[in-house]
Amino acid sequence: MLPGLWPAWPLLRQDPTVLADPGKYLLHHSGFVACVLLATVLALTPLRILFPHSRVALALNRHRRTIGVSAFAYAVIHLTFQFLHESGWPTFFVDMRKPFLLSGMGAFIILAALAATSFNAAVRWLGGRRWKNLHRLAYVAAGLAAYHQAAARKLFPVQVLWIFVPLAALEVARMIKKALPAPPLHDSRRGS
Amino acid sequence: MRIHVPKEWALPQSAATSEADYTRSSRREFLKAMGVAAAGTAFLPSTVRAATSGFPAPDNPDYPAGALKITPFSLVSSYNNFYEFGLDKGDPVVEANKGWKTEPWTVEIAGMVANPGKWDVEDLVKKMGGIEQRVYRHRCVEAWSMVIPWDGFPLAKLVDMAAPTAQAKYLRFTSFMDPKSASGQRGADDMGWPYVEGLHINEARNELAMIATGIFGKPIPNQNGAPLRLVTPWKYGFKGIKSIVRIEFTDQRPLNTWQRLAPNEYGFFANVNPAVDHPRWSQASERVIGGGFFSGRQPTLLYNGYEKQVAELYKGIDPHRLY
Repeated sequence: MLPGLWPAWPLLRQDPTVLADPGKYLLHHSGFVACVLLATVLALTPLRILFPHSRVALALNRHRRTIGVSAFAYAVIHLTFQFLHESGWPTFFVDMRKPFLLSGMGAFIILAALAATSFNAAVRWLGGRRWKNLHRLAYVAAGLAAYHQAAARKLFPVQVLWIFVPLAALEVARMIKKALPAPPLHDSRRGS
Repeated sequence: MRIHVPKEWALPQSAATSEADYTRSSRREFLKAMGVAAAGTAFLPSTVRAATSGFPAPDNPDYPAGALKITPFSLVSSYNNFYEFGLDKGDPVVEANKGWKTEPWTVEIAGMVANPGKWDVEDLVKKMGGIEQRVYRHRCVEAWSMVIPWDGFPLAKLVDMAAPTAQAKYLRFTSFMDPKSASGQRGADDMGWPYVEGLHINEARNELAMIATGIFGKPIPNQNGAPLRLVTPWKYGFKGIKSIVRIEFTDQRPLNTWQRLAPNEYGFFANVNPAVDHPRWSQASERVIGGGFFSGRQPTLLYNGYEKQVAELYKGIDPHRLY
């Protein structure tokens, strides 16, 4: 999991921001990676729909499960740091009254449910339609995660836009494409 | 076994500049971080030219380090919230030392006072009778803290010298405005500059309030608010306005920058209180900067531990109005 190596670089560089408060840095970084992975996995379907003949898009789509579960893995790391290094655990019930923290918890619970039903047996057990509807909650999780990330610093962090605006744009493009009338079928048996 | 007897003149190992500071990318960066004026001005070899006089400052015995663990200079001078120079905490140490001149510097004292005037910071320090060193706790509203030895003079002395009239109830501090040198003050990142802060005059007269011109016995680095800044250790760190250009005595409560930006999160008083949460996070505990990965959090103290000195200022006021 390459994103796992990326946080290590500033630690090696002895970046003062990291040395000052390593727990905080890892908390923010794991959250950032979780958001990126979530936005990535949700971007794959629109990419496939918009570029149905692209081999890259099709290949990436085969890894949706891996990327999605990785997003959850980073969310777990993020929550662990929240409980260990921030005040998370002792003030848990007070914190849940704060929208910023509640939204994060909401996104986490959804991702947990999706990760728990990510393996093949779960699809069979729930049935295709129910499974698909459950996994549509990923969009809700993305919305909550975007809000949570936007509320994380004193001022609005621009990186939220970089992560979620491309996804939003892709989704809009996908919906437009689906709404347009289908192109005529190419029938190779017709004579010229 | 060979017993090592240190020579009388030997300095303790701890007095040595940390390797991180010394091997910073270039000597110019190192000197800038130590507070020497901008490149291009001549300086005597082996002398650091002070932005203001009085260094090293004598310790004030009322404010010793005591049981407090002083945060290393390398972190105090490189982990800064100074949004004029970028939003990341590692930005100011780089951006504030790219040619921003903090010397010479004029401070204007204005408003409802008998003695208004414009002061060169050097003359102001001399007029205040020099500086002293005090070790204070520093608590950021983001729930991290440091322990910093500040060098400066009591704000009360400046208030007395200015001789405020009977109508003056507040001090309004204004920071510098220099978009050419401070990239954060240009265009898109504009949060409404210059930075403004304020104190009630009784708070300004409190023994703790200080104007700092140095840290660790050296002139204050640019990224910490050169050449002079406010220190109010019982309040959240954002009250400590940096690089002051103007102090105005007024009868209107100033609208400080962070309250203007987010009034439901930041107020005028910003008194440290573990029982009054920030809307997005708890203030009950704090992370000690430099404590390392495995250090826990420590509980936040009411008034950052300075209850004895300041509690009477706020007797009878609902603490939830003092955020």
